[in-house]
Amino acid sequence: MADKQDFLRMVRTSLGVSERRDIARDDATSFFLSKDEVSQAADDIRADAAERRTELIDEFIHRATEAGWNIHRVANFEDAAEEVTAVVREHGATAVMRSDHDILNSVPLESALKAEGVDLEIAVREPSDDADEDLERRLSLREKSFDSEVGITGVDFAVAETGTVAMEPRAGSSRLVSLTPEVHIGVMTPEAIIPSLDELFALTRDHHLSGEHKGMINLITGPSRTADIEANLIIGVHGPREVHLVIVG
Amino acid sequence: MKVRTDEFKARSAETTKNPRRQASLKLVYDGLHKGRIAAAEDTDDWEDQRDRARAIKWHTINNLDYYLDLLDKNVRANGGNVYFANDDAEARDYVLGVAKANNVKTVIKSKSMVSEEIGLNEAFEEAGINPVETDLGEYIIQLAKEAPYHLIAPAIHKTREEISDLIQEVAGGPRQEDPQDLTDTARALLRDEFRKAEMGVSGVNFAVAETGSIAIVTNEGNGRMVTSAPRVHVAIVGMEKLIPSMQDLSTMLRVLIRSATGQRISSYVTVVNGPRKAGEEDGPDEFHLVIVNNGRENLLKDAQLREAMLCLRCGACLNACPVYRKAGGHAYGWVYPGPIGAIVTPVMTGKKVGRDLPFASTLCGACKDACPVKIELPTLLLRLRSDLAEGKADPKEKSSPLLERVSIKAWRFGVQSPMRFALAGRLSSLMMAPLSRGGWVRWLPPPLSGWTKSREFPRIAGKPFRARFRKKQR
Ligand code: SF4
Repeated sequence: MADKQDFLRMVRTSLGVSERRDIARDDATSFFLSKDEVSQAADDIRADAAERRTELIDEFIHRATEAGWNIHRVANFEDAAEEVTAVVREHGATAVMRSDHDILNSVPLESALKAEGVDLEIAVREPSDDADEDLERRLSLREKSFDSEVGITGVDFAVAETGTVAMEPRAGSSRLVSLTPEVHIGVMTPEAIIPSLDELFALTRDHHLSGEHKGMINLITGPSRTADIEANLIIGVHGPREVHLVIVG
Repeated sequence: MKVRTDEFKARSAETTKNPRRQASLKLVYDGLHKGRIAAAEDTDDWEDQRDRARAIKWHTINNLDYYLDLLDKNVRANGGNVYFANDDAEARDYVLGVAKANNVKTVIKSKSMVSEEIGLNEAFEEAGINPVETDLGEYIIQLAKEAPYHLIAPAIHKTREEISDLIQEVAGGPRQEDPQDLTDTARALLRDEFRKAEMGVSGVNFAVAETGSIAIVTNEGNGRMVTSAPRVHVAIVGMEKLIPSMQDLSTMLRVLIRSATGQRISSYVTVVNGPRKAGEEDGPDEFHLVIVNNGRENLLKDAQLREAMLCLRCGACLNACPVYRKAGGHAYGWVYPGPIGAIVTPVMTGKKVGRDLPFASTLCGACKDACPVKIELPTLLLRLRSDLAEGKADPKEKSSPLLERVSIKAWRFGVQSPMRFALAGRLSSLMMAPLSRGGWVRWLPPPLSGWTKSREFPRIAGKPFRARFRKKQR
């Protein structure tokens, strides 16, 4: 077992530095921005993105399409439900799951899918104080996620630079619903769009420094893909083969 | 993993004569190398991004003790465990201990070069635990019981016929040769493992000190499976992979991904902030970060070689390298091939066994141009050569033949001043003129004939690039 202090001493000896020293500020890294500067920057980002919304929507759609997303722009939540239902119908899917993301509670999906004879499963478990029981419930949710054909989720951020959507899994927002089914449908509003990865990580860093971070941040850009067999591009390896984004508004 | 660097000459000669391997190596150039160039051209501030990435990494490496300490504290604050491993055995034992404590029977793995380095799969097998590589390329080479051929395309040397044999052996059923069918079959086989595995082991592209996070870049989605489906997640990271802040990720991801595959971004970037937080629907209950030295201190100790610690393992220097593209990935004899492998392998494992590697380069500089963090790969290779030539590297080693020592000294003298370099270039060009056809030299007199036996040499330009560039600027 390498003791941490021994390990750090080995690093210091190799670098030829002493333990007590100040590290010099270097503005190549954003590390030296204070917590307040970071949260001020986060506010500015939100304001700026709101101002440039139209331009950002166009750029996002351009990059997302390039990355392999199927984009559906709709005017309201009813139309969003229609678009989702059309995708489910096209696949003849019966095992459909959705996360409990806020935005999805505004989309009348249950009724639209029921009309197709599809029971929509919500990917949440009843938390239990008993650790074993809680684990059981999570494992059963995991099984269902693996068995689903279509997974529907909300989106927390959308990055115009790359056509990426980012999600922070939390209570009600499973990690697996956007991963295990063959088809993933994300539902979002234009307010989610920010200009670039710089803003994305400034915002998530701000969450972190304010103690509001989640267990994970998932960046998703198009379908799952590989080029491991003679460099042929194949779509759909372990993640979804087909991905859709429904933009409401 | 066993170090077999002393076989470079034999193994590269074998590959040079194998037309199937040569065809695979062409894919590296046509796909990855050209993809990177297109991506760089498509990025307005590409040079600025590279410079910034380099500065971020230099700052981190120069203060590595500080950031390691911070990373450790923050992973723990997030509810994770940290283990510092000095060598491969310590790292293996710790990971095995976690597996045993959790009664693990199946481990799903996403790509980790460090886990290859420490021979983790063999250790699992000996302990009766089943390790399953889930990156399609890694899965293929696991079936073939081979080492990765490339940093990001580990099975690029395998033809579809070979892959077909390997997959059919596990899956049974009719023989398939279409890449789509083969991928579908592998997907189905690995699905079962994802469902049942109790533990996931991943590599790390960046470890963020300030937030105790790790970032993993994948295209297939297996990295997400490994970090989300099982109850336990163990991430293994070389001690150089740190960055200070989460905000630095944007720059680092841009340069890494464009240089690796030519994409603007990969399908998935997974940022893990420790184990599942209370209330979350899924994700691991336990998170372990294993930080590995395993000879990296030898790089750190040397003010010049330290620069190799900036490496992001993107593979661009391999794709750019005319020697890698002839010799193939296995000739380098350990885990890391290509120009960066030729530097880190001898230093990390002890120079004696890597005797041939620093010579497996033409010092043409293509690797440095391709490197997202602008590592001076040719200078570092030359440095190792001169250590070896002067017998400094290992007292037991005899020093090199006089000719080699003299030519290295001459080369060094030649490149140290722009004027001398230009003069040498003009001289060489004049001397080569009678031997060249269409800009390529097919035969050079000894001692340079070794080169032209297996490849042509580009005729050195009469007018150096710098002169043409200056003219163009005017
Ligand atoms: S040395 Fe540079 S080009 Fe080579 S793998 Fe490392 S980062 Fe990539």
